Amino acid sequence: MAAGRVAHLFRGALARKGGKVTPSNSFPNPSDYAANEVPAQLAGWEEMYPGHFFFGEARQEWENRHFWYLDKIHAPYPMPPLDHIFQQAWQISLSQHTTRIFCIPPAQGIAHRIVGCYQYICAVEPPPEDVIGEKAALFGARAHYPVEHYDELYHEWVERIQELGRQMKHIKVPELPRYMPDSEIFPNDFRGYTAAYELQEAFSRAVDAMYKGWQYHFNYLNLSYLYYLTFFGVAKTLFPGVSDSAVSKMVAGAEVSMFQPDAELCKLARMAHGSPSLAAVLKGDGSAADKIGLLRETPNGEAWLDQIDKIKDPWMHISAGSGWYHYEGSWLNKLDIPFGYIKNYIERLDKGERIERSLDEISAARDELVTEYRRLIKTDEDRQSFDNAYSDTRIIYKYAEDHLFWVEHWFHTLWWEKTREIGEALVKAGSLKTADDLFMFNRFEVPALIEDTVTRWALGEGVPVMPWAETAAKRRGILKAAAEWSPSPALGQTPGEVAEPFTIMLWGITTDKVTEWLKGTSVEPGDVNEIKGFASSAGTAEGVARVLSTAEEIAQLKDGEILVCPSTNPSWGPALGRVAAAVTDIGGLTSHAAIVSREYGLPAVTGTGLATKVINTGDRVRVDGDNGVVTVVERATA
Amino acid sequence: MQYVVDLEYTDRHAVGRVGGKNANLGELLHSGIRVPPGFAVTVDGYLHFLEATGLGVKLHELLRDVCPDDQECLDQISGEIRRVILEAEIPQAIAAELRANYEALASKCCREDIPVAVRSSATAEDLPSASFAGQQDTYLWIQGPDEVARSMLRCWSSLFNARAISYRVINDFPHEKVHMSVGVQKMVNAKAAGVMFTLNPANGDLSQVLIEGNWGLGETVASGEVTPDQFRVDKISYEVNERHISHKHIECVPDPVGRGAREVPLDPDRQDASCLTNEEIRELARIARLIENHYGAPQDIEWAIDKDLPFPDNVFIVQARPETVWSQKKPEPLLSGKTAMDLVMQRAMQTIKFS
Repeated sequence: MAAGRVAHLFRGALARKGGKVTPSNSFPNPSDYAANEVPAQLAGWEEMYPGHFFFGEARQEWENRHFWYLDKIHAPYPMPPLDHIFQQAWQISLSQHTTRIFCIPPAQGIAHRIVGCYQYICAVEPPPEDVIGEKAALFGARAHYPVEHYDELYHEWVERIQELGRQMKHIKVPELPRYMPDSEIFPNDFRGYTAAYELQEAFSRAVDAMYKGWQYHFNYLNLSYLYYLTFFGVAKTLFPGVSDSAVSKMVAGAEVSMFQPDAELCKLARMAHGSPSLAAVLKGDGSAADKIGLLRETPNGEAWLDQIDKIKDPWMHISAGSGWYHYEGSWLNKLDIPFGYIKNYIERLDKGERIERSLDEISAARDELVTEYRRLIKTDEDRQSFDNAYSDTRIIYKYAEDHLFWVEHWFHTLWWEKTREIGEALVKAGSLKTADDLFMFNRFEVPALIEDTVTRWALGEGVPVMPWAETAAKRRGILKAAAEWSPSPALGQTPGEVAEPFTIMLWGITTDKVTEWLKGTSVEPGDVNEIKGFASSAGTAEGVARVLSTAEEIAQLKDGEILVCPSTNPSWGPALGRVAAAVTDIGGLTSHAAIVSREYGLPAVTGTGLATKVINTGDRVRVDGDNGVVTVVERATA
Repeated sequence: MQYVVDLEYTDRHAVGRVGGKNANLGELLHSGIRVPPGFAVTVDGYLHFLEATGLGVKLHELLRDVCPDDQECLDQISGEIRRVILEAEIPQAIAAELRANYEALASKCCREDIPVAVRSSATAEDLPSASFAGQQDTYLWIQGPDEVARSMLRCWSSLFNARAISYRVINDFPHEKVHMSVGVQKMVNAKAAGVMFTLNPANGDLSQVLIEGNWGLGETVASGEVTPDQFRVDKISYEVNERHISHKHIECVPDPVGRGAREVPLDPDRQDASCLTNEEIRELARIARLIENHYGAPQDIEWAIDKDLPFPDNVFIVQARPETVWSQKKPEPLLSGKTAMDLVMQRAMQTIKFS
């Protein structure tokens, strides 16, 4: 889960301009909607996901009285069946940390459903009063310990996730050999089981590790959000007019793991810059693969490539997207992304520019900001409360900033590498056409797919194969059709009250949001000329939009354009140095795009929900980073 | 004796010499704030005027018989005093210095007959609970040394309007102890002007600067004749957190035919347009913070944006005075001395209710 986001994420998007409006007081009934409103082109979508993720009769009464909204943060696009595993894992882990571990008194977990390949979630209604009382006692006793011991706890946490990652990395994925080797017969290496079992075990171990990793993911995240919200409340009490982004700036740390990959690229660029022949190769226009070939014959080239190898684990385990979808790829398998940045950095070094983020300057600027606000507090008592809340929040909020790299990027990349290996083994065994077919089966189906594969192998020669590849192709078609569909932003009853911290902070569910959704449920993106999001970085800019969906497309970007993209991460970092403003679909005040934009001093509006749908490349847009508004000034002529 | 002094040579210690308003402008200049250039006719000049013309004695006599409860008597005496001041001949020494300074200002600004604002600046202005603000006059867009001299006499005479006289009598404040200096300042050729507070007057939030403005000179904002545009800016981060662009029907501009300034209807293009750009808003907030830091207390500030100069040289401060409403309240703790864990517990118990 990405770092903290307060207030109004996809704050609805919909300032309508001539759009159709259906006034109503509640959202569609969930099970009716799932049964009747999913377009026919998506037929068969239910087969892709486990049955307990559907709306239906068995739990209808409970489902109907809850408020379900589209999870555009983790699942903005239709859900490939195996990629659903993270969602399955976080539903459990996030919820239990609220209900059973830290026991946030009136809050319960977040429940999931799927409709037509899209994920809906809801904050479960508050528990009975006596449970709130029990939890309050436990919360009081538990909620401060992690703050008091944060450094040692975080140190242990990193060791824990790293150990788990190593286990994932070392899972052996065998190919099914024509005959088992001698070692399965003769005493020295005798194991008693075959590659068939080993392949089954490989997937099962990868799944176990993934679930455990997601248990770790939330170890301190719920608390970290709660402290953030507390400090947020303190700042707003003392300064009713202070903006959300100003509060975020006060809390933001400079040394965030998410920025380390970029720092490593800066080092590589400096190393190459010191050696003209090396720099010449890296500044060339060829692909990363071509350049690696040339570097092997260039003086110092091998040493430079060794350096890349040294930092590869962990710092090149960066998704080219959010880390949530198998097709995004990572720096490991899309080397053109880091090589593109290195090229850009060397060119900037040639011009005498500084390429590194100055941690000292960033920290000093933040400290000065806090000092200045603190000076305005009118009483010593309030200053004391502010100091206490601030220092606790700063300590624990580091977790929200750091976990993202280790779980969503490093650990997920290891998962993608491993599952793709399994996919390849299944291609070799004749069950699938491509390794990525694997992702068209959910995590309960994959064991069946593997079992069928190894069974055929065990049965001998001439045994027919089940139509796994055909199923994969059909499901790809369903996902493609789903991408064309805009489901209702919410289903069910408008909520009574919400206490769950993620719902407020990460998804920004507020009365305003719900009202806006109610107003705008039937507006088409093409009718929208103004969208709202987080005012993530101050300033205004007007210019030509460049809509990019993945970091691989960054080469299309021209200096001074306005970047419009789903979300950013270190894969996009250097690109932000060249644009006039940034707009994202996903991401709050402490998202990567927001932090980097503030550092570059460029206006940014994040978490708009549908900027990439509403805006087209070539449109002239105005970005108001003070108020979180993006306006299409003039449409590009088609 | 020096009867006229450049504002650059005054500061807050010069209240006795140039009055509160002028001393304050000098103080702002000294702290690096952009204030339109100008000069002050000193209290010594005023006293010399009273003495040389013999008016000092005459006024004393006229005021001896004043009866504060009798409006007719007040009006009659006040009228008589103002008449004699306006008709008096300005002593040569003062007239010469005034002319020399005006011409120096004109040549500094490279414009003959430079338009100026002439304002009274009384020495008693800053006495606690004796706000004389608004009881004295301001004359805008005055051109030429003779007009300036006339406006100076009108400023002096304003010390003796009926309300000022009765106020002093009721509060037992001797008339002869209130002295007046007159400020003469280059007129800002205002594209837009208005006021700002270094806190949010609605809730006392010290982290915000509230700016109100309209097209043209600031008079329409101060008088409340238009609903001004309103901007709320963060004092520390300089984010513009709120903006209300109102419908504005008039502006105050220099009279195109006659003298002084007058109100004219706004052309339709500007009626619903923001009178300030984002960079001007931020620059104003930055200056507001500087002024507040200089005085160590919240301020109520008048500003104007010049048409002829490039940004940021066009952003002028024409007045700053202490904010009086929130600054006089005793601050109460808002968080009731809660510890971090108290606050976290309170937050954890909180739910967001949906309507």
